[in-house]
Amino acid sequence: MRSRTSGLGLLLISPAMLLLAIFFFTPALLTGVFSFTNMSSSTGISGGAYVVTPNLLKALSARGMQPATIEALEEASYSVDADGLAAARAADVDPAFLDEIEARYAGRAYATDSDFLAALKDLPSRPRRIRDLKLAMEPFTKSVLNVRFATEELARTAIAERVAGISDDEMATLLSESYTGWVWTTENFGKLFAGHETWRIIANTIFYVATTLTLFNVTLGLFLAVTTFYLPKKLGAIFTVIWLLPRITPVVLYAIMWKWFTWDDGFVAVLAGELGLPSFNYMKGSVTSAWTIVIMVNGFIGASFGMILFSGALRSIPIQQLWASEVDGATRWQQVRYIILPQLRWPILFVTSYQTLSLLTSYQEIWLTTNGGPGSTTTVWALESFRTALFNYSGSLQYGLGAAMALLLVAVGLMLSIIYLRLFRFGELVTQPKIEF
Amino acid sequence: MQITLKNFTKSFDGNVVIDRMNLEIRDGEMLALLGPSGCGKSTTLLAISGIHRVNGGQILFGDRDVSNLPSQKRNVGVVFQNYALYPHMNAYENIAFPLQVRGQSKTEIEKAVGQIAALTHIEPYMSRRPGQLSGGQQQRVALARALVRRPDVLLLDEPLANLDAKLRLEMRSEIRRIQQETGITAILVTHDQVEAMSMSDRIAIMDQGEIMQISTPDDMYRNPVNRFIAGFMGNPPIVMVDGRVEGTAFETTSGFRLPLPGRLGGLKHGRPISIGIRPEHFGSTGAHTVAGTISFVEPQGRESHFDVRVGEGVVLRSIQPSRRDVAVGQPVEWPIDIESTLVFDEQGKTL
Repeated sequence: MRSRTSGLGLLLISPAMLLLAIFFFTPALLTGVFSFTNMSSSTGISGGAYVVTPNLLKALSARGMQPATIEALEEASYSVDADGLAAARAADVDPAFLDEIEARYAGRAYATDSDFLAALKDLPSRPRRIRDLKLAMEPFTKSVLNVRFATEELARTAIAERVAGISDDEMATLLSESYTGWVWTTENFGKLFAGHETWRIIANTIFYVATTLTLFNVTLGLFLAVTTFYLPKKLGAIFTVIWLLPRITPVVLYAIMWKWFTWDDGFVAVLAGELGLPSFNYMKGSVTSAWTIVIMVNGFIGASFGMILFSGALRSIPIQQLWASEVDGATRWQQVRYIILPQLRWPILFVTSYQTLSLLTSYQEIWLTTNGGPGSTTTVWALESFRTALFNYSGSLQYGLGAAMALLLVAVGLMLSIIYLRLFRFGELVTQPKIEF
Repeated sequence: MQITLKNFTKSFDGNVVIDRMNLEIRDGEMLALLGPSGCGKSTTLLAISGIHRVNGGQILFGDRDVSNLPSQKRNVGVVFQNYALYPHMNAYENIAFPLQVRGQSKTEIEKAVGQIAALTHIEPYMSRRPGQLSGGQQQRVALARALVRRPDVLLLDEPLANLDAKLRLEMRSEIRRIQQETGITAILVTHDQVEAMSMSDRIAIMDQGEIMQISTPDDMYRNPVNRFIAGFMGNPPIVMVDGRVEGTAFETTSGFRLPLPGRLGGLKHGRPISIGIRPEHFGSTGAHTVAGTISFVEPQGRESHFDVRVGEGVVLRSIQPSRRDVAVGQPVEWPIDIESTLVFDEQGKTL
């Protein structure tokens, strides 16, 4: 084959390459990058600061940090100095009270809360309410707790000042743990497989993809294609259009219609009631019914795709072959089984591979209908990844973890693609063109 | 098995294409349905095979009325123009298919396929798929598939149309040989008169959904019932000259005269007729001679075709053993075999 690169060719595909770069390669690359960070809505996506919180200390203590270090860090001390007075003034503490503090205690330091409180209670113009008194104490606090240090250096100095003789290890731990911004990490993947929910979601995903694919996208698609093929032309066309409706209806509208259909007092529930069957919200009421609905919602969309593809392939079989098989004595079923199905091998493989990938990554229908419920029984990987990273009620979004989930999905998708391309013998499909330029 | 069509009628969407046709195919004979495209010959074939249902009349296989049976229950073998081999099966599987769907045992199938493969000379290609076979080999496989379950009738729909000239000659005699060896009743649909004449016992010539004449190839060539058939049979074709009866002779408006054959006495003076002269009846023997100028010479090796202008607007064609003594523009005076000429009346009926 000639390997001549034509400038015009490159020019012609450049818009496609540009769009591919913007909408596919960049997001995929960023997903890869994010999945190796611990970015979340609490770390933000820009930098962070160093803050030692009481919660952090509790956690560190549980992890075995020296009690002495913890105590030293927790300990709040007070010293009446120029800084403290200025801060108190800025915080609108009664100036008369401050003057008294300055006059009586300037230069003194107090180890504990109660010492300083007792000292302040001696002053005549102290605030009556104990709360105001505490507020007035605050500016004199000398503590690392809940102070935001902009750089690592500031944090290190402050900690070293509080805890004389802190070991290097403990300092390193403290610094890394107290950092509020995001850091590079590979923990996401470990975290994923430690979580007991993960395996359940994987099982859900496999069940969802396999069932929808086999029952609807392939089997129902084939069934529809074959039946409409044997129907009179007009009738067949009407059925084709009806089965196309799920695909051409906007997905939100389609989901809402399903919701109405399966509502507590919707069609299905009422009908079930009339028939003496349990009447409840079939979309969210039970695991079995929820799965049934989820698979049907997605399956009806997929079936029409298969139907269109298989119909086209069916029509490309020369009619004489079907005649020949009838003359040869084949019944309708034998005709379908031995003549039609074997010749639909490639379309079936194509639908299988294409739909595996699209079912693996599509979550919108599930999100809009059962939203993964009841509980997390119908939650699939793509939905969980979307919720982890971008959308959940608690509002704590774990971009890094979500990206890691998405990355795994991309990896699985790539692997499946390669397997399918092998099956397709893709090389044969892109051999030398029949027309030479 | 004898096949009988009684008042067979077929229409598509209300358009009657074949109206009350009657046809009988004798047991063991090969009948050619010959006609121009669109004459209804393939429709007839598909109706006999059961792919098209009849709209009226009967189709009998022997004494059995199969008119309303689906093709699965008719026991016919069909070779389609494009062979319609199943592309995903190899030659063996293609041939075995009719037996396999009937649920025959493996050994039975193997035996039957082996026999038919020997008959059609395709044993070496049994494991190849249709895509790996040449046109002639595909044709043989299609024949084998049609014959393997010993059908009551073998239907061939333009079986040679997709072959090149050399293969066509070879398959022509092959199909005939196989038909004669098996003694099967066969119907050959073709638009090619050479195919029809060389392969069949009898020819039924069709035009616009009607059978115009059924006869042996030889008889049909010599005694066509009308002008259409005379024009259809023979290559190079017969030359038709239009004119009138002038006493015992024929004369065109431009004044070209020929005596009429002796068998046709007493034709009314002035009656419009046309005369058909086959190329082999002009230029070799005959009592009457015609003078003219050679306007075209087509050498064919063994023989030559000549066009001779014998009068204003009248050109006769002659076929003779190859000769070099004449050239274009040369005046010649050649004999014409008047008794072999064909004369047609105004409606085209042979007189």
